[in-house]
Amino acid sequence: MTFKKKMKLAALSSAAVMMTACSLPGLGAGLTEEGNITIATQSSTEMVILGYIVQGMVNHYSDINADVIQNLGSSTMVTQALAQGDADVAAASYTGTALTGELGMDPITDPDEAREAVTEGFREQYNMRYFPSYGFENTYAFLVTSELAEEHGLETISDLEPIAGDLTAGVDNSWMEREGDGYRAFLETYEFDFDTVYPMEIGLVYDAVQSGNMDIVLGYSTDGRIASYDLVFLEDDLNFFPPYDASPSALYDTLEEYPLIEDILLKLEGMIETEQMQEMNFIADEYLIEPATVAVEFLEANNYFEDSEPYLEPAGGE
Amino acid sequence: MLNIEGLDELSQMNNVQQLIYYVQQNGPYLWDQFVRHFLISIYGVLFAALVAIPLGFYIARHSKLADWVVGAANVIQTIPSLAMLSILMLGFGIGVNTVIITVFLYSLLPIVKNTYAGVKSVDNALMDAAKGMGMTRWQQTYKVELPMALSVIMAGLRNALVVAIGVTAIGTFIGAGGLGDIIQRGVNASQGGAIILAGAIPTALMAAVADLVLAWLERKLNPASRVSR
Repeated sequence: MTFKKKMKLAALSSAAVMMTACSLPGLGAGLTEEGNITIATQSSTEMVILGYIVQGMVNHYSDINADVIQNLGSSTMVTQALAQGDADVAAASYTGTALTGELGMDPITDPDEAREAVTEGFREQYNMRYFPSYGFENTYAFLVTSELAEEHGLETISDLEPIAGDLTAGVDNSWMEREGDGYRAFLETYEFDFDTVYPMEIGLVYDAVQSGNMDIVLGYSTDGRIASYDLVFLEDDLNFFPPYDASPSALYDTLEEYPLIEDILLKLEGMIETEQMQEMNFIADEYLIEPATVAVEFLEANNYFEDSEPYLEPAGGE
Repeated sequence: MLNIEGLDELSQMNNVQQLIYYVQQNGPYLWDQFVRHFLISIYGVLFAALVAIPLGFYIARHSKLADWVVGAANVIQTIPSLAMLSILMLGFGIGVNTVIITVFLYSLLPIVKNTYAGVKSVDNALMDAAKGMGMTRWQQTYKVELPMALSVIMAGLRNALVVAIGVTAIGTFIGAGGLGDIIQRGVNASQGGAIILAGAIPTALMAAVADLVLAWLERKLNPASRVSR
């Protein structure tokens, strides 16, 4: 009897293992199946939109079937999913996060050096290619109203120096205590301080500066409210903040099997500007449009970047 | 830049209006996820039924085994669903199939237990009569035990499906998709209250409707109600 039971268990578990390799009707293709790639993203609106942008591009230019897996908990989980072969493409990594997160290295503030280090690290540790940036950065950004910027001719953070003593600033709670690119380091690099600095919830800073409760705030550079409130983003002229430019990455094995994927991801290089990402985030978050819809609308508005290099023929059946 | 029609300011709306607006804007996506959610749950329960119903019949004949099998299924049931998903993810990776396996495991107990109870409850006199008529073993099972036990087995399937719909909602954390995706997006979005409702209400509705339909089927299949008709 125990033997029979063992046989049954063995049969069951082998059936279960086989199940993971195949697909059921209505649920899309299996993860490891032929002619199919999987795009993994985390759960933030921005990263989900990017995931569907990559999917839309793959559908437009190839017959490869692309699935999006969203809501993975952290950037490390996405990278692990690729490393284990559960996914082929990571829709969005931020250079600074990848550097200190997945690769466990010290922050590098020079954008080119940071990118080089991540590209190298991804190749050696994960056998992944780190692609050129989409063209936007999601970093900390000092924001002021356009009136204040015009009045004092503000363009860079250094321009603040003469007037900083009269300004109240609202900043992200965690930034106050951060090492490396936090408040203390900021004082050392830029050598000026604001009149008063209020730590606050990051989601509230945009409203605070627009309503005039704060003169200047520190927010995230791709938040949609920057554009809709007409805020001005002051350039980090001393390269104080590490680069957080967004890039896709993919397994070298996948790129070998589907060379088209490489061209498709290269086609997206520099194609999404900060303002465009802001607008997409804004529509998804403030107007409750699903990221999948936003992504398709964006691609259609830009004709799937058919005119950008490398040139590709759209696949039939569109 | 983007050409999306009918965008409306949320600040002017209450939660219910936001919900209606969300459904109007994202109806097809919501429907896709609804169907996907339902399919994941159904596949898990169906596979479990394929294994658990024969197993239930088998242990009804071999009573010594029954305690072991039901005990094992019981142990599976005690593992919290998020823990189960995480454990299976280690073995099977992320994706929809891992969630189907999880649903499969959770569905085993109610189906095995009910099949066992249903078969056991068939009157011995009936079985004697069947044997007396010269029925083969297969005929006894197929023509007497199965019809008599069917309503109890359905009750097990019903239990399993309701649990499955709940488990599938958690599947979003390993990338399975379904209505859990929508709930999770609502949690992340700055104005996500309406999105959470748009994910949670259909999930609850699906469980309630599945329960009602299977309850109706269970009544239809009950031999007692068939006789009285």
